[in-house]
Amino acid sequence: MRLRRVVVGNGIAGLTAGEALRAGGYDGELVVVGEEPHPPYSRPALSKALLRDLADVSSHRLPEPETEAVEMLGVRATGLDPARRVVRLDDGSETSYDGLAIATGTRARRLGPEGCGELTLRGLDDALALQERLAARPSVIVVGAGPLGMEIASGCLDAGCEVTLVARGAPLATQLGAVLSGVLTRAAVGRGLRIVTSSSARVLDGTAVEADGRLLSADLVISAVGDEPNVEWLADSGLLVGGALVVDSRGRLTGLSGVVAAGDVATFPTKHGPRRVPLWTSAIDQAKTAAAGLLRGDAAPELVFQPYFWTEQFGLSLKVCGDLVFSGAPEVVVGDLAGDSMLLRWAQPDGTATVAAVNHRIPVPKLRRMTHPPSASRHE
Amino acid sequence: MRIALDRPRCEGHGLCEEAAPSLMHLDDDGELVLDVEEVSADADVAAAKAAARVCPVAALSLA
Repeated sequence: MRLRRVVVGNGIAGLTAGEALRAGGYDGELVVVGEEPHPPYSRPALSKALLRDLADVSSHRLPEPETEAVEMLGVRATGLDPARRVVRLDDGSETSYDGLAIATGTRARRLGPEGCGELTLRGLDDALALQERLAARPSVIVVGAGPLGMEIASGCLDAGCEVTLVARGAPLATQLGAVLSGVLTRAAVGRGLRIVTSSSARVLDGTAVEADGRLLSADLVISAVGDEPNVEWLADSGLLVGGALVVDSRGRLTGLSGVVAAGDVATFPTKHGPRRVPLWTSAIDQAKTAAAGLLRGDAAPELVFQPYFWTEQFGLSLKVCGDLVFSGAPEVVVGDLAGDSMLLRWAQPDGTATVAAVNHRIPVPKLRRMTHPPSASRHE
Repeated sequence: MRIALDRPRCEGHGLCEEAAPSLMHLDDDGELVLDVEEVSADADVAAAKAAARVCPVAALSLA
């Protein structure tokens, strides 16, 4: 009988998993279930190019897959029965599988009550709705000062809006450390961003935020306070461990053959312990690993996770290779910390390094090589 | 097949080079150089497709 492998999720992880199955020689039936009805798009572009240039409506589009998959788009998976090997769908039907790749991603976390008008930015529909609203140059409050919140604030400023950012501490400090936080915050303030620091913010509705007891209001309130994995549909599957979808170094669910998971939804082993790492290259590398794990089991290579992070905001471009750990003062390889172009390097205890380029053009493979311990890069 | 680069879109992430080092590389200024534009061998076509897939700004396409 012809095999039937099913990929649930149509973001970059699902897309890559399907293509990697084909590239790995799988020629059986391939079914892709995707909640979003859209053709493939780049999520990172939604808060960067798509917000920066409101006239460009194609900067997010990705090449169509050539996997000859049966695509079930606009359909949500609502349940999984691993004993019967079926995925239940929200149109009331079921689809059976011999092998399953779970790549259902995450959704934006919200702060306000359901339906209060608070905007978030996670999917293409969110981005298009935000583009439309920004055309009238509304005043904007962005809640959350991580990379996404800062990119949204930057895009809104570029659109001519007055923007207030509600931050718990120094913007980006949690993710990128004090030095890069300082560099990017300086650029943000220079471009006119107003920053309100508040230990606890409450979104009251689509136009009002309470920050440490103080009432802030604007035409739009956009929250960017992290994401939540889409795992509810797996609640009665027995697959979740403490609410998380935990995979091994080959993307496989422990103790269950024929099921793998990849992308933002999956908690996978990193050298800092099991983590979800919702980044573009993380999703791609995990998906390739999981597809091989599904096809070849123990013979498949283990995930080699090499973090790559980038952001564009307030006229600055930042690219980072290596672990996203930024303790202490970096070595300034090029430029200076007071300028707007620099190459910085943080030595890590394990001999690797974290390297960040701010408005400094450098081939990323070269940046990556700078993260290797000295012995590994002797032949440069 | 022909690899096409939309140069204004390219942001120099270099993920394409990591996917297809035999077909393209970033020069010292971080500009993408297509070392091969016409691909016909199966392995090259597969590498070119992989390179186009990983680009987060969809700067590469195959025609």
